[in-house]
Amino acid sequence: MNSIVRVVIVDDHPMVADGIRAILESYDDIDVVTTLSNGLEIVDRVAELAPDVILMDLNMPQMGGLSATEILLEHNPQTRILILSMHNAPEYVSTALSHGARGYLLKDVPTEKIHDAILAVMRGETYLCGGASASLSPNISDGREALTAREQTILLQLAQGKSNKEVAADLDISVHTVETHRKNIKRKLGINSTAGLTRYAMEHGVLQGTGVEF
Amino acid sequence: MSHWWNQIRTRLALTYRQKIFLLTALPLVLAVAAISTVVTIQSRQLAAREIRELETQLIDAKRAELKNYLSLARTAIGSIYGNAAPDDEAAKLEVTQILSAMIYGQDGFFFVYDYDGNNLVSPRQTFLIGKNWKGLSDLNGVSVVDTIIRAARSGGGYHAYDWAKPSTRETARMVVYVIGLQDWKWALGTGIFIDDVLSTVAAAEAEVQARIQKTFIYIVLITILALIGVFLAGLLLNLHERRLADAKLRALTERIIDTQEEERGRVARELHDSISQILIGVRYALELARKRVLGGDPKASVSLDKGIEGLTEAIHEVRRISADLRPGVLDDLGLGPALKSLIDEFARRTEIKTEFKTVVFRNLLDKDAKIALYRIAQEALTNVERHAKATHVSIEVFGHRNGATMRIQDNGTGVVDNSAREGVGGLGLRNMQERIDQLKGTLRVLSSENGTIIEASVPLSHMLSPKSKAKAPDTKPRKSA
Repeated sequence: MNSIVRVVIVDDHPMVADGIRAILESYDDIDVVTTLSNGLEIVDRVAELAPDVILMDLNMPQMGGLSATEILLEHNPQTRILILSMHNAPEYVSTALSHGARGYLLKDVPTEKIHDAILAVMRGETYLCGGASASLSPNISDGREALTAREQTILLQLAQGKSNKEVAADLDISVHTVETHRKNIKRKLGINSTAGLTRYAMEHGVLQGTGVEF
Repeated sequence: MSHWWNQIRTRLALTYRQKIFLLTALPLVLAVAAISTVVTIQSRQLAAREIRELETQLIDAKRAELKNYLSLARTAIGSIYGNAAPDDEAAKLEVTQILSAMIYGQDGFFFVYDYDGNNLVSPRQTFLIGKNWKGLSDLNGVSVVDTIIRAARSGGGYHAYDWAKPSTRETARMVVYVIGLQDWKWALGTGIFIDDVLSTVAAAEAEVQARIQKTFIYIVLITILALIGVFLAGLLLNLHERRLADAKLRALTERIIDTQEEERGRVARELHDSISQILIGVRYALELARKRVLGGDPKASVSLDKGIEGLTEAIHEVRRISADLRPGVLDDLGLGPALKSLIDEFARRTEIKTEFKTVVFRNLLDKDAKIALYRIAQEALTNVERHAKATHVSIEVFGHRNGATMRIQDNGTGVVDNSAREGVGGLGLRNMQERIDQLKGTLRVLSSENGTIIEASVPLSHMLSPKSKAKAPDTKPRKSA
């Protein structure tokens, strides 16, 4: 384990970002590389900045924290992302975790908890601060598991008849990643064929206006 | 076939109101048109028959008259003719003189042709006398003299042709009756002009025509009146409905304003009562801390801790008020998580057993539908908590080919009376109905003493198509400041 943890803060509120930065910089084992103001910036610059941990707000202009988390993980599944949010509803926590975040912190926790969380994530643990508890994921009517935003986008594209390659080009990810998503979707829905996926989407009313008809 | 029909249909593109009007007016117009056609044809036929009968009667009367005149003339010459030999020229002369004198009426006279066609008597048209008129025919080519002679030879008969009136020299239709004086080979006849009959008939015909026309005009007028009636009734109905709608709209606006004011008052009170009080406390704590720091008092950190504590409390309060106003989960994560959050909180508060089911998809409903369904669920749960005495509530959200549906089911006492559930605090079922109406969706409420099922459905048009999903749900709109 490196002695100094490289941290990037992504938050569109300068007061918050600067505040966290000031606090974290008071710790010797943490180096705040930079602060960014939305998801798109971190997606663009993650390779260059090479952070160990990303502290990410949820609601941001252009690209929010959940989408950014999924995209960052598509490119590098080892990316450690800590969600830092004002929202304490359990649904946020479970959604963040289902999108691949390593931890969930409320902004109003005592600041030493942020330091604790960073270290815990570096040790490979999942960190939830006090006051943030994950809700059990909501029961799906037919007993299936909820899709992430990315999986949903890909399901809808596949259901419209696009190939892995086309989806990959459209979302600017590798065909391999699309294939992984596709496997996850099929596992979650318990459906084996693309035609089955299309039918499932159709029967749930989510393919309207796409020109796909039966 | 269906192609041009569709084209016509799209070109016409009638509104519902126009269709109803057409549906009323078209059969009326068609029926009236059919009735007037039948009436016209039948009365024409009837009139034609009557006129023909009138004509026959009049002409028969004329013919009888002619026969009488002729028998009169025959009687007048009877003794002379009866006693004369076929070649008694004196008797013949006497007879022609008698007949020439027997003129009657305006145009009445007797005429005599011998069987060779020579005119012997023609007191009103004397230029005919003494000349041979064999082969004479009228303007229409109807043989006159030859036919007369033929009729006389066969004993007697009628003939009709056009002839100039002696009085006015106008050509008119004339009917003649001829008998033969066979001993002398004379054709004796008299004629009457029947133009008066024809004009009577024509007048009758014109009268009938006028009557039919009048009837037709009446029918048209009545139809127009009926159409105007239908139109006016429609207009009135429309006006009435519009007035009703206006009144409804006014009531709704009033209610919205009331609700808005109430809400504003509540938020203002909460901000004032909780947050500003807390913040004032924080300020006191910080001022005290500064004083202690300046004075080198080691208890400064106690005051700072108190300030931090107060700020945390303020943050919680803001979060609570904000979530009350509009749950962020709904905007950020979609209806499913928001409902899950709502029903979990409901379960904690009321200790009623809850169940929640949703779909694998997230954030596929547009903003209007999300908010409407969320508010309906909120309203329904409030109703359950206040009135239903239920022990179990379930919410289920599912998508289907026609859109999305949210079903809320409880095992309470049911909606006893709409007014019981309206009014108190919330706006009740009516509010739900209005919200769903705005989305062109449907709301079904099934209620019995075993519980209530509320089913709110929104059409496909409120589901985001995958294309517009490029924007992730957790992205917030760019703020201007």
